[in-house]
Amino acid sequence: MDSSSSEGDKRPQHTLPEIGISQILGLVELLLGKGGREDIYKLAGELSMELGETLTVIKAAEMLGLVHTPGGDVEVEPFGSKVIDGSITERKDLIREKLEQLPVFKSVREFLKREEDAEVTREEVLEKLAELIPNEDAETSFSTIVNWGRYAELFGYNDDTQTFYLDL
Amino acid sequence: MSNEAIIEMKNVSKRFLLPQGEVTVLDKISFQAKEGEFITLVGPSGAGKSTLLRLLIGLMHPSSGEIYYQGKLQRGMNDECSMVFQNFGLLPWLSVMQNIELGLEPRIKDSSERKEIVNRYVSKVGLEGYEEAYPRELSGGMKQRVGLARALAVEPSLLLMDEPFSSLDVLTSINLRNELLDIWSDRDNVVNTMIMVTHNIEEAIELSDRIIVLSNRPGQIVGDIKIDLPRPRRKRDKQFIEYVDRVFSLLA
Repeated sequence: MDSSSSEGDKRPQHTLPEIGISQILGLVELLLGKGGREDIYKLAGELSMELGETLTVIKAAEMLGLVHTPGGDVEVEPFGSKVIDGSITERKDLIREKLEQLPVFKSVREFLKREEDAEVTREEVLEKLAELIPNEDAETSFSTIVNWGRYAELFGYNDDTQTFYLDL
Repeated sequence: MSNEAIIEMKNVSKRFLLPQGEVTVLDKISFQAKEGEFITLVGPSGAGKSTLLRLLIGLMHPSSGEIYYQGKLQRGMNDECSMVFQNFGLLPWLSVMQNIELGLEPRIKDSSERKEIVNRYVSKVGLEGYEEAYPRELSGGMKQRVGLARALAVEPSLLLMDEPFSSLDVLTSINLRNELLDIWSDRDNVVNTMIMVTHNIEEAIELSDRIIVLSNRPGQIVGDIKIDLPRPRRKRDKQFIEYVDRVFSLLA
């Protein structure tokens, strides 16, 4: 496992892991219960999760600025503690601020703001995703965009009409 | 003790008639839950834990013995009680909003008043933004938030939970347990008395004020342990581990 890749790799990271917000928050809560830091390999064993799966959750938490991964460890960032200390509503506000800085969410928002009727179809977002992450399956990231976006109330998504809309 | 019992079982037994004969599932169960208490029920599978919850809410009736709710003999369904299920119990063709609203329909006729209550609980459990979503679009954690919001929206005096975290992954259940404690300790809520079934001993010690331990069939109370530890509770603490051992020794 190359744990230094996050520092050496300068390419922007756009792929979104298929991980729910509750799982990410659970990881941070678990780490805080252990004093804020744990060896990744040990953590996977303790959770009886596959290492790959554990890494995916950690990566998701890292994208949101909640943890970082020095060496083979995972450590809670001050921002992570702040989120967990907050009420349910405060948590959503803090996560929203982070998501607004992620390219995929930024472009969906801008997309929505530009449209006259403030509605964007699923197809349009998938196209945008294919542009941002050409080598990945856009469908995988799609459900995560919908879920995180909904959690942070960045935008709404109607599955019946398959359209995004701004929650005004 | 100064506080009133909100619900009480007195010598309750439950027997089922099966083709192979009569089976006693619960045998002479007596206990009280006090206002504000968080009680967990633990026991091996087949100890009748889920049956006990169904008796408390009035979905089933005791074969013998009585249940008293706020001092009155309980007959039929208890309207001041609501339940959270292991498999969420959501209707797939209804949105998050509609699923939560469901339990309110018979109680509150005015639809705008209903919407207002639903919105309050949507926000309480962190579901804002998901109002229009359907269950199939939600992760397990979000589905159980819907189950919880629906149970809270009827503003019960007693909340019953049947293994609410056992079909969730480890990390999601850590998160939901913490949020449940936040809701329980929030004094704005109507409900502050909870009875939860779990097979996870650490979960029981982490959450509850009191653990009632049931034996294998027929289920009898073999232990009633007060958990005297400040929250948040840490699994690595010496006292925590001592409680785990105590509960285990009663189950073994």
